[in-house]
Amino acid sequence: MIDPIFQSDTYQLARKLLDATSLRQEAIASNVANAETPGYRRLDIAPDFATELRARLANGASPQSLTTLQPHLAEDQHARSVRPDGNSVEIEHELLEMNRNSVDYEYLSDLVSYNIKQLRVAITGNVT
Amino acid sequence: MNLISGIDVSASALNAQKTRLDIVAQNIANAQTTRGPNGQPYQRQTVSFETELVNRTGGTADGGLPLQSVRVASIQGDPTPGQRVYDPQHPDADSTGTVTMPNVNLAYEMVDLITASRAYEANLSVAKNARQMAIKTLQIGK
Repeated sequence: MIDPIFQSDTYQLARKLLDATSLRQEAIASNVANAETPGYRRLDIAPDFATELRARLANGASPQSLTTLQPHLAEDQHARSVRPDGNSVEIEHELLEMNRNSVDYEYLSDLVSYNIKQLRVAITGNVT
Repeated sequence: MNLISGIDVSASALNAQKTRLDIVAQNIANAQTTRGPNGQPYQRQTVSFETELVNRTGGTADGGLPLQSVRVASIQGDPTPGQRVYDPQHPDADSTGTVTMPNVNLAYEMVDLITASRAYEANLSVAKNARQMAIKTLQIGK
């Protein structure tokens, strides 16, 4: 009976995106660690995650169907390699991406928090 | 699934860069050492890294690529011959009065030092960021 409260679209979506953001942090860690590895191609979330998510939401998919959709890592095909060793990592780009990612993460975790707080207000009646 | 995402990759890179800094320190310290334990002048050491695929639970089951951590593959001597300097008063001078100096080039070492130190900083800032994210995760619902 309490389930529907946790099935709100924003909550489910924020959870899914938190997974992706956390995975992207791992990818960035790997990219920075391998900034000097010859032939290394930068990793990122596979682009089909975003397109698939958008498509499913546009078709009015239920939150339950989103659980089967998991982000995974793939080589970034768009990263160009200007270095002779074939490495496609640009350290400045990675650090900017990391900052952007952590702002995304804060926003999403605040959103999840907010949902839970609202639920608590509904249960206890205390607004504080 | 790690609470602090990607921390093991960052840790491996920090460790590798630290080894590189140690070797640079050793090279600079021995830039004038004309007689090592084997009686030969000091030979400049270089560090080479290798990547290691990180095994993540459930991470690659969906066809995603694994993360790649870094570790020191080997520390090898640089085979280029050292500079020969004419100095007959030197205790290690040979019969013609020349001394073979170590093949350490301070300019190379300084460049290596800065590169390693910047790479270390970059990895450290990723680790700090991951920590901030973990703290944020623990505050969900508070």
